[in-house]
Amino acid sequence: MDSKNKTNRRRFLRKAATAVFGVTVLPSIIPASALGKDGHVPPSDRIVMGAIGVGSMGTGNMINSLKKNEVRYVAVCDVDLKRSEKARLLVNQTYKNSDCRQYSDFREFLENEELDAVCIGLPDHWHAIISIAVANKGIDIYGEKPLARSIKECRAIVDAVEKNKIIWQTGSWQRSVAHFHYACELIRNGKLGEITYVEVGLPDGRESIGTPPVMPVPDGLDWDFWLGPAPARSYRGVCHWDWRWILDYSGGQLTDWAGHHVDIAHWGLGLDRSGPVEIEGKGVYPLEGIFNVPVEYDFTCKYENGLTMRVANRSRLPQGMGATWYGEKGWLNVDRSGLTAEYPEILNEKIGDGDIKLYKSIDHWQNFLDCVKSRKETITPAEIAHRSISVGLLGEIAMLTGQKLFWDLEKEMFTNSDYANRLLSWPYKKPWDLNV
Amino acid sequence: MKKIKISSRLKSFSGLFVSILLLIQFISCEPIGKNRALIITGQNNHNWEKSSVLLKDILYISGIFKTDILISPAQGEDMSGFLPSFKKYNVIVLDYNGDSWPDQTKNNFVEYVKGGGGVVVYHAANNPFPDWKEFNEIIGLGGWGNRDESSGPYVYWENGEIIRNNSPGRGGDHGEQHAFLVVNRDKEHPVTKGLPESWMHARDELYGLLRGPATNLHVLATAYSDTATGGDGRHEPVLFTIGYGEGRIFHTVLGHAGGEDETPAMECAGFITTLQRGAEWAATGNVTLDLPDNLPNSASVVKWPDFRPLTLDELMVKASSYKVGKSRKYLADLTQRIRKDSNSPKMLLKYEEKMIELLNSEATSDSKNYLMKELSWMGSDKCIPVLKELKKNKNTEEMASYALERLSAD
Repeated sequence: MDSKNKTNRRRFLRKAATAVFGVTVLPSIIPASALGKDGHVPPSDRIVMGAIGVGSMGTGNMINSLKKNEVRYVAVCDVDLKRSEKARLLVNQTYKNSDCRQYSDFREFLENEELDAVCIGLPDHWHAIISIAVANKGIDIYGEKPLARSIKECRAIVDAVEKNKIIWQTGSWQRSVAHFHYACELIRNGKLGEITYVEVGLPDGRESIGTPPVMPVPDGLDWDFWLGPAPARSYRGVCHWDWRWILDYSGGQLTDWAGHHVDIAHWGLGLDRSGPVEIEGKGVYPLEGIFNVPVEYDFTCKYENGLTMRVANRSRLPQGMGATWYGEKGWLNVDRSGLTAEYPEILNEKIGDGDIKLYKSIDHWQNFLDCVKSRKETITPAEIAHRSISVGLLGEIAMLTGQKLFWDLEKEMFTNSDYANRLLSWPYKKPWDLNV
Repeated sequence: MKKIKISSRLKSFSGLFVSILLLIQFISCEPIGKNRALIITGQNNHNWEKSSVLLKDILYISGIFKTDILISPAQGEDMSGFLPSFKKYNVIVLDYNGDSWPDQTKNNFVEYVKGGGGVVVYHAANNPFPDWKEFNEIIGLGGWGNRDESSGPYVYWENGEIIRNNSPGRGGDHGEQHAFLVVNRDKEHPVTKGLPESWMHARDELYGLLRGPATNLHVLATAYSDTATGGDGRHEPVLFTIGYGEGRIFHTVLGHAGGEDETPAMECAGFITTLQRGAEWAATGNVTLDLPDNLPNSASVVKWPDFRPLTLDELMVKASSYKVGKSRKYLADLTQRIRKDSNSPKMLLKYEEKMIELLNSEATSDSKNYLMKELSWMGSDKCIPVLKELKKNKNTEEMASYALERLSAD
């Protein structure tokens, strides 16, 4: 909770960072050689890390950082023993030792380990409680999008990150991919002219599986702990991965992907620390089965500057997936496959000396590690992650209530609906709260 | 004319229908049966004895039709006396797939339509009379009966437009029965306006490869005929209109009724709603029917076993026996209604009152837990006492606390 819990090792790392790299050096251009000859990092300078949540995403993230010279994973934590065991073995194999420690309770993990940074990969309904607990230990975090399940939780994470002065990186890694960066610089520099309309296409919903029967909880999985703050439920085989289709844990494709393509759309527009002021739209919700997130969603957001953003599942939009800006010189779409434009000449545009340059990172993980050392802000800090997912969460509330909503960007409250304001948070099951 | 038969099935439901009828009359002050409909049936490769009665039920329930059923002579019998009085009706509903009509009947039918009469072509009614030119112009598209390129083009939806394809080949096909997605292609037409843009249709035969003159044909909705279910891989028209002279024709290829007991395609809320609206449009050129509650959407089929949505009171009774793991359709129906009416505080209060009644009743804990989650955002002070009461019960404690927390009352 306070500085006395931070380890001596940790303070050393921060002091060293200031001394070696100074404050004027950009994190993205730290030469590898600065880390030591042949990339060798003395143990005392290594970033000591742990991972909480080591399923598909959590393990993927860990793998991306496990072999970085300046990182040393020492502990993993998961409510599913099979997963934590697998992750422990992976760490040990990588380091050719048997040192990695294994936990199922994040509180114990935080109590026993002395860490510089933690990689968090959890279902959305756990994001806020655990992120804030980690932040309050003064530990830097690589967290996943969406920042959290509710807008109030997101704000609480941002506050905790700022209060504890920790480094936060969000897994909105598209920002560290060259063609996304280029697309956003084109837009930011007005190469498409003034932008008045944006579309954001996210994946279509997933098909129903009906309601599977209650079944025994698999060995090693602590189901009650997995549910945590969410309402008590019998186990029906929907846990890892497929939690994403149940509103208690996730908002579906919309909230999974808003942290990617809304994030990029905002970045290009310079609105990534802002948000919409009017939201209205419709979702199509399954009327049967265990899954209850919208299979189709389509809502529009209006911004203070008059811009309109439409967010929908890809099949509903002319350009499909990705962010599409509509400007005076036609439209430009960016998604993972690249850039397309109504008038392809735009794709030959260069970003010149006089143009605005956006934060540059070519390796999302390296950006985080560099910032852990330099104490600079990452390319996707918590506030930006919050504003990106807020669009998805505001759209979700507009669809759940069926109302047109007006949003106060400062107070982060709806100005016209008490009903909608109640949906800014999801009540927790006891004993969980945000101050574990 | 041989005989007009009032169905025994209809009689058995008459008590219920009369009460609905009176209710509708009372509310709308609309004369019941201001439109007169005639269902023509009696020969069909489908279960016409069932379908014709259900069609009548469906029109009856709309509250704006007075409907007769005309049963033709049986197949192979003398048809010479089959002389329906088309002109007595605003709309003729064709549920007939059988022997040729007498020339006079054919002429009368064509004159009736030309002169501004309405027609509903229902499912296999687009099968008969491949060689009767005017009939095929009236139905727009037909299938089977050796129809081929000489019958007219194939008509289907591709890349945002209607394709008329004259390539040679047989007319009429369907794969195995299955539930499929119907996509409205005209969202402004009186029949489809306000309906879900796309909706899952309950298990049915999906007709495809229909051919016909297709003049003055306007597609309202299509469905993708998936090769995986034996279909043709095209977006086939399933609801369309045809103009013929002054007449209006609404053609639905949906609604298969076979030998089995179940008639999911006819119980489908989307089928029922479009049939009622299509019949009104064919009869009058306009649609005055309100959009009903509890329509299907692109994720889920909705069936109305009584051919109408439940009243709120009926719905609450059904909802009160909900158990987690069983069908949640009644609860989902309630949620949809709340969402639809959420801009009316008065309506939300009405829902809340009904929900409070259920919370105070012997309903299952699971139904109460679901309702408390809804109340957590749309409830008022009125529900607080019962929530506090339910907080004392271990089966409802958790969701009562949840709701009280959101309502900031705890």
